[in-house]
Amino acid sequence: MELQVQLLMNTLQIGSVYVLFALGLTLIFGVMKIVNFAHGTFFTAAALVVSSVMIWSVDTLGMPIWFSYLIAFVLALLVVCIIGFVVYVFGFQYVLKDLNGSFILSIGLLLLLNGTYLILYGGVPRSIPAVIPGNITILGASLTIQRLVLMIVATIITLGLYILVHRTKLGLSLRAVAEDQEAAMLQGIPYRRVALYGFLIGATLAACAGALMATVTPVTTVIGDDFLVKAFIIIIIGGLGSVLGAILGGLLIALIESFGGYYFDPSTATLVMFVLVVVLLIVRPQGILGHAEK
Amino acid sequence: MLKSNPGLALCILIALAAVCFALFSGEPYYVQVVIWVFANAVLAVTLRFVLLIGELNIATAAFFGIGAYTTAVASTILDWSFFASLLAAPIIAGLISALFGWVTLRTKGPYFLLISFAFTEIVRLLYTKSDVLGGNSGMIGMFPPMELDAYFPAIAITLLAAIMFGLYAAERSNLGRVFKAIKNNEDIPRSVGLNVIGLKILCLVIASTAVGLAGGVNAYTNSVIAPADFTYFVAVLALAYVKIGGEGHIIGPIIGATILTLAGQLLHSFGPYENIFYGIIIIGVLLLVPGGIVGLGERFKAGTFIGRAGR
Repeated sequence: MELQVQLLMNTLQIGSVYVLFALGLTLIFGVMKIVNFAHGTFFTAAALVVSSVMIWSVDTLGMPIWFSYLIAFVLALLVVCIIGFVVYVFGFQYVLKDLNGSFILSIGLLLLLNGTYLILYGGVPRSIPAVIPGNITILGASLTIQRLVLMIVATIITLGLYILVHRTKLGLSLRAVAEDQEAAMLQGIPYRRVALYGFLIGATLAACAGALMATVTPVTTVIGDDFLVKAFIIIIIGGLGSVLGAILGGLLIALIESFGGYYFDPSTATLVMFVLVVVLLIVRPQGILGHAEK
Repeated sequence: MLKSNPGLALCILIALAAVCFALFSGEPYYVQVVIWVFANAVLAVTLRFVLLIGELNIATAAFFGIGAYTTAVASTILDWSFFASLLAAPIIAGLISALFGWVTLRTKGPYFLLISFAFTEIVRLLYTKSDVLGGNSGMIGMFPPMELDAYFPAIAITLLAAIMFGLYAAERSNLGRVFKAIKNNEDIPRSVGLNVIGLKILCLVIASTAVGLAGGVNAYTNSVIAPADFTYFVAVLALAYVKIGGEGHIIGPIIGATILTLAGQLLHSFGPYENIFYGIIIIGVLLLVPGGIVGLGERFKAGTFIGRAGR
């Protein structure tokens, strides 16, 4: 029983970060009809900023850790927004709805940004000090408070995005554009501006995931790439462009990874995910919650 | 540009020259570079072949690896002869791709792209977990037989060039026209009674068989293969060759592969700067020269040569 609770806690903790990451990817796909292979670089950038700023401000300036983390978090989001804005204006806006073109562009960005990170940051993994020390026991399962807080923050951000997409005017425009771009433009929705907002929101979500993950895992310059393959599996399972699909898919993949990884081994868990995708593709090619392509 | 026969004749001459160079040159390093150029050109050409039906097939990298591992297993574990182990590579790659295509080609566009990406990474994961296949360190000891050793580079180049001429012939045949029709609008071929899914699978199988043979040749060329040689990145570079050379004509990927492979040899010692270089080239060509080198040549010929940002 304790073991199952422990594994469930792991599931929720990994899953909440997967969800954030996949949500950004699926949102960008919905609005721009492109797959952003450089999504992991946003995640990485945020994690790198958090670790650099924190190590510097705690060691050199002697700031309290929680305060330093808050500053680092905000800075990370800012840096990622700037990177996102630059790559959108100078690149992605020319390949809207162009699957092959956007794939190549995002791969080029992946190479360029990852190489730059490596030069700026170096290849050595760095860990940041614990922001909130201490452990907590839930139903016999032990958990660091830090991971619990991470889970709660990720859930709040996910809820916030859900509300943004389903309850606000911007969310309505995002959904309208995702549904039918031309009809949305006929209704007076400025497509290019909405696409930019969608892209920046997606990048920010990846940045949140990266800034949160930096607290519980050592930071390297390729930390985001490991998330990419799983995020792809998540959005195939959930359906490209579906917010709820990304949430369900993220939790499902985390569940398989956590339980499968414990009872068998991690690579078996990955294989199970792939078999799941294959079965799903045969039964329902557009994903659990996706719309059929015309 | 090179659609008329003189172009084809020129290509045959270049291929023959490369074979002669491999036979008579005393510089093993340069011969090796020529083989790499041909192998990368085959990767790019096979990637482009599936682009004929409009799908971006990252699993090109996976079938390249499957071919290489098939030959390695046949040669080192099963002790098959040189030619039998080479022949096994395209057959196994073709069979697996038929199964892969049967499942995945029901989807298209982004779904097919993502699923072929995931397939490539998972096949690579399988190699690392398999003790028979040498795990992370891969397999060693694929050598051509002693009596053929001196001729092996020439054999490799001949096979790789033959693959490209074969794919060119396939593209120029009626089958190739049907593939392009599927890309334009698959409902129209379907409306005249063609089995579109079957044809898509056929296209994938032809390309995968070809790249599987290239993988087998690669196993003998390098004598060492490891899972890290067959990541999705192989397909990404192949796509860069296609884009830089231009995808309008089969010569495009070949030109792109030649230029970038030679540039890569020069840049090999630059570490992270090498990736930055590739990144900038890919982004720059995509945004500034959308048709690649072939497209540039055609625009130049048509007298509308105007540098144009974006699309």
